[in-house]
Amino acid sequence: MSGNQVRSMQEINIGDNIGPQPLFLAKDRVRAYCNAAGLAGVPRFTDDEGARKEGLPGMITPGNMSAALIGKLVTDWARPYNGRLVRIGTTYRSPVLPEHNLSLQGFVTQVDHGERTAELDIWIENEDGDRLVTATATVRFP
Amino acid sequence: MATILDLHSHSEASEDSRAPVEAYLNWIRLRRQERPIDGIVLTEHRQWNAGADYRALEDKFGIMILKATEAETDYGHMLVFGVNDEIVHRFDFANIRIPAQELIDTVARMGGVVVPCHPGRPTVGLCEHYASKPPLENVVAVELLNGGSRRGEDERAAALVAKYGYRATGGSDSHLVSLIGVCATRFDADIKDIDDLVRELKSGRYEAVDFRAPRKPVPRAVPEQTA
Repeated sequence: MSGNQVRSMQEINIGDNIGPQPLFLAKDRVRAYCNAAGLAGVPRFTDDEGARKEGLPGMITPGNMSAALIGKLVTDWARPYNGRLVRIGTTYRSPVLPEHNLSLQGFVTQVDHGERTAELDIWIENEDGDRLVTATATVRFP
Repeated sequence: MATILDLHSHSEASEDSRAPVEAYLNWIRLRRQERPIDGIVLTEHRQWNAGADYRALEDKFGIMILKATEAETDYGHMLVFGVNDEIVHRFDFANIRIPAQELIDTVARMGGVVVPCHPGRPTVGLCEHYASKPPLENVVAVELLNGGSRRGEDERAAALVAKYGYRATGGSDSHLVSLIGVCATRFDADIKDIDDLVRELKSGRYEAVDFRAPRKPVPRAVPEQTA
């Protein structure tokens, strides 16, 4: 298959894997996101000491950043099919701590050929297998 | 004949789940070799989903679908099996501070059974409440294995079971399609309906079973450089 060839939605099946994609969020990367997102002055996202004063174990990853990483996993997966992310919903179960070995992964859970959509389960998991952020997403195909 | 049921799951009828029941059944059919469950119990949050009728789906997939409730009490979250009109009339499941002892005793008298779930979970689990309040009486069983547990939670549940001699159940607590059936309960008896389930939960002839894949080490990603 050439790099530009569009894959058919017919190739997608319930149970198909999405990822897993290893993810290591360096603190500087989280701070760079905060700078870009207007969160530079929020200690819980940028400074361990400031985060601990709020009762957190250290600086945490902004929820929007986690959602964006999940969204990117979905759009990367959908790109060969010319699929478009049309809905994403996230649940934040535990803080995502920088400087940990994380994993982004999921599955195709439903395929609707009539509506030309697929439903996905996606999550961010830590070294212990705890699902820190879970999400569902809908991708629509041409 | 043994029956394996996932005793704890949430469909899109719960506000924090988008999992359609049919998608659960498709997933069970797909993963039956690794999660050989015979049925699921939908335990929607803070409600009794009286109007839901899943008989057509049961027939289509050959998988049992029973209904229960996940109630919120002053001792954390509890699964209520065998909900009937009398119980619905007596308790407002939308109340997030239902008195647990009253729920356990009254539901038992009215023909059901209450099983505290994810007891090792902070805030909403029995263990944390037992640290500051007297233990509940007449607890038949607690959920030993919960598919949504984070590290240490099932271990705290195991310590609770050992200390108080409770019987142990398992359930996925699935809010995502792909997690249905990861934990379940294996009953010695044949279970065909909710009355059978309530009877067997009281009998004690069952065990929690874990179908979660062994946890693999997460490979380390190469940290990205930032300017």
